[in-house]
Amino acid sequence: MRGDGCIYVLACLAMSGLAGGQAGASPRLPKIADWVPARWPWSDAASLDLIGGGPINCLLVRPGTAEFAASATSRGLATLAVVVPGDDVLTTARRALAAKVTGIALEGDFSADAIAAVRQAAGGAIVVELGPRNRILANSAAPVLATNQGVWPGMPEMERMRAGPSGSAWIDTNTGFIRGMRAASDAPLWIANQPPPKTLVTAVRYMQAIADAGMSGARWVLALDDGFAARLAKRDPKALADWGRMLALASYFERHPEWRALPEYGKLALVQDPAKGGLLSGGILDMIAVKHTPVRPIPLQNLAPGSLKDASLAVNLDAGALTSEEQAVLRDFTRSGGTLLTGPPGWTDEAPTGDKITLDKRELERLNDIWREVNSMVGRRNLGVRLFNAASMLSNFLVSKDGRTAVLHLVNYSDYPVENVSVQFLGNYKRADLLTPEGVEKPLELYQTEDGWGADIDKVTVCATVRLEQ
Amino acid sequence: MMTRREWIATISAAPLLREASAATAAPVAPVSIARCASYDEDVTAKLGVLFDQLGGLGGLVRGKTVTIKLNMTGSPSIRLRGLAPALTHYVHPKVVGGVAYHLGQAGARRIRFVESAWATAGPLEETMLDSGWNVRALQSAAAGVEFENTNALGKSKSYARFKVPGNAYMYPAYDLNRAFEDTDVFVSLAKLKNHATCGVTLSLKNCFGSLPASIYGDDAGVDEPNESPTSGRDRVGHQGRRQPSKSAPQELNFGANHDPGYRVPHIVADLSAARPIHLAIVEGVESMAGGEGPWVQGVRAVKPGVLIAGLNPVCTDAAAAAVMGYNPRAGRGTAPFQTCDNTLLLAEGHGVGAADLGRIDVRGVSIAQALYRYDS
Repeated sequence: MRGDGCIYVLACLAMSGLAGGQAGASPRLPKIADWVPARWPWSDAASLDLIGGGPINCLLVRPGTAEFAASATSRGLATLAVVVPGDDVLTTARRALAAKVTGIALEGDFSADAIAAVRQAAGGAIVVELGPRNRILANSAAPVLATNQGVWPGMPEMERMRAGPSGSAWIDTNTGFIRGMRAASDAPLWIANQPPPKTLVTAVRYMQAIADAGMSGARWVLALDDGFAARLAKRDPKALADWGRMLALASYFERHPEWRALPEYGKLALVQDPAKGGLLSGGILDMIAVKHTPVRPIPLQNLAPGSLKDASLAVNLDAGALTSEEQAVLRDFTRSGGTLLTGPPGWTDEAPTGDKITLDKRELERLNDIWREVNSMVGRRNLGVRLFNAASMLSNFLVSKDGRTAVLHLVNYSDYPVENVSVQFLGNYKRADLLTPEGVEKPLELYQTEDGWGADIDKVTVCATVRLEQ
Repeated sequence: MMTRREWIATISAAPLLREASAATAAPVAPVSIARCASYDEDVTAKLGVLFDQLGGLGGLVRGKTVTIKLNMTGSPSIRLRGLAPALTHYVHPKVVGGVAYHLGQAGARRIRFVESAWATAGPLEETMLDSGWNVRALQSAAAGVEFENTNALGKSKSYARFKVPGNAYMYPAYDLNRAFEDTDVFVSLAKLKNHATCGVTLSLKNCFGSLPASIYGDDAGVDEPNESPTSGRDRVGHQGRRQPSKSAPQELNFGANHDPGYRVPHIVADLSAARPIHLAIVEGVESMAGGEGPWVQGVRAVKPGVLIAGLNPVCTDAAAAAVMGYNPRAGRGTAPFQTCDNTLLLAEGHGVGAADLGRIDVRGVSIAQALYRYDS
């Protein structure tokens, strides 16, 4: 979908309401925070029928023509032209703006001068930076934080084929990165990576990508592989059915905006600089998540008295990076009975460079030292919720500030549904409901466990949510 | 290819001469076989038929404590194409619950499920939950149901020592979790499947998993048990590269043999003599062929649709091996024992039971009718 001089038009379908203050927006545009983005590989107006009444309101089309922008606008779409390095940046942006797009999306690694020039050319129109992860917080005041760098969520093939009776399955995920970013910023977060090339991407794998971002409060910028897009263009029944499932899943998260507002919960807190190791996937946060331990990321910069409230265990990766005030917070934490684990001697948390978004072998080996200690420290403890029969899953546990409502998202990264999942919650919950994108909404039987309440879930296809109330 | 009738005749009538004396001296007991095509069938009723064909369980278990060694090999997170472990390499919880129900109905006072859960000393119930089992349903299958992870001390304060009667093959005695001693009746509830090291996993091989990793594990303590084991038993049991914790009896001829195909069958045979099995149950409704777990290359899911039980583990395993299409008296080099010694014959050598199909009273469905060739 990328190419020399290409223009992607990111069109945002109006869902409801008036524009939320962004200049150049159609009166029918939703607030930027509600934009649900997707890359759109077609430029004909008829293709917009595929969106129907679904949740997707961001479409990537090529080429970006005035006709398409007008069609999109007439359907309540706002349009963003995506400019990539290699374009004549300013000319391309101006041409797109002349075609009446709503704004510009700069995809890739641009110089500060180029970004400033495009912003100036855009005038009041929005400019979204779909840049590398290590630049994402440089523009933290932006209406949308976005990156085109992400891992493709799922269980690596080698994991499926692994030898030996031991271990837990590894899961590739962007959730650690997303959770770190969301702890540092309230802005909407988009992950705009694309499907792996030369790979058959099934509907389930697309849904895993949607859910991977959705359960952590972000949005995956939906991107179709060429084969799927071609079949969908021909209105192939199977492709249409798969597309419907994908839209239903995206809609599932959009129907519950309250979930995005819930803070993450876990009696284990991870203090990490989101602009350093927190930018990586496969780091300590993901390692802990694979073990189904609820962990709350705390940006180093936000470490203040009260930020470790409710935590009984804390991990501080980079002891040398703390200010004296931050050290005092951790000292008070341990004095009040908390257990603190610090990184190995000499460990410094470093920001990734270039295109790197995962740890290399040497870094993984170093991280293993602290990982073993974390694992040992956590043991069988229930730090908010424990999951059983969930080896192919990741979860995110969210609890309202008053503690009365909790939400547990489950995402299954295997190609098969998982049956008979058990969850055990800390706390005195009186009601539990199971919700799924397939439309299930039913009460779950709660039963008493060693340290709280348990519930059993019959089946998780790709995604399910347990909603708890005290 | 031989007909079923010809094949049964062959494996029944051709015991090796050198094993003939052990085969004729070793005890025999009836073996019962029932068809059960699916876990959706009334598994409990099928088990009832199976036990009735053995004369019922009342005489064996009434008023007694019964300990059942389950077959839950490897980490529950490692799966064959996402299938639940019970559909491939673990015994199925419906069978487990059905067995508990019948033991309860027969008057068992206490029913204790045991297994040395992979790489953990945590509660066995948590491994069951991680396997997708409904622990609450198991607890309600009968009165007095308990669980014990025998990978370490568990709920006890000391280990129990089981001496191998006569001439032990590998170790003079084995230290096991006390649950194996504090019982009146010992049941091995195994899966009908192959094993990469031992050829077959049946009721005898299942008991290799009785060894606590705290003592026999790769990370066992040198002097004393490690009560937080996190590994398997490869270096002690399979490879003979290290001794178990010094607190336990040491290997007789340490360093003499590092062949897993020799070592594991001999250890299993020792265990079968040291900790006798009173009731052997082999579950083959759905299973796995080609190995004992998804980590073995080339394994495949199979549906033999059969349940087997007997009052002697060697006889039961002999019938089960025959149901799998193997000669239970085959020697090393012949399937399924291509690279290992025959555990059944080694147990027979200890006088545990006879692997001679000609002497075994098979009840219910015949071996020929139940035949499901694992090497097809």
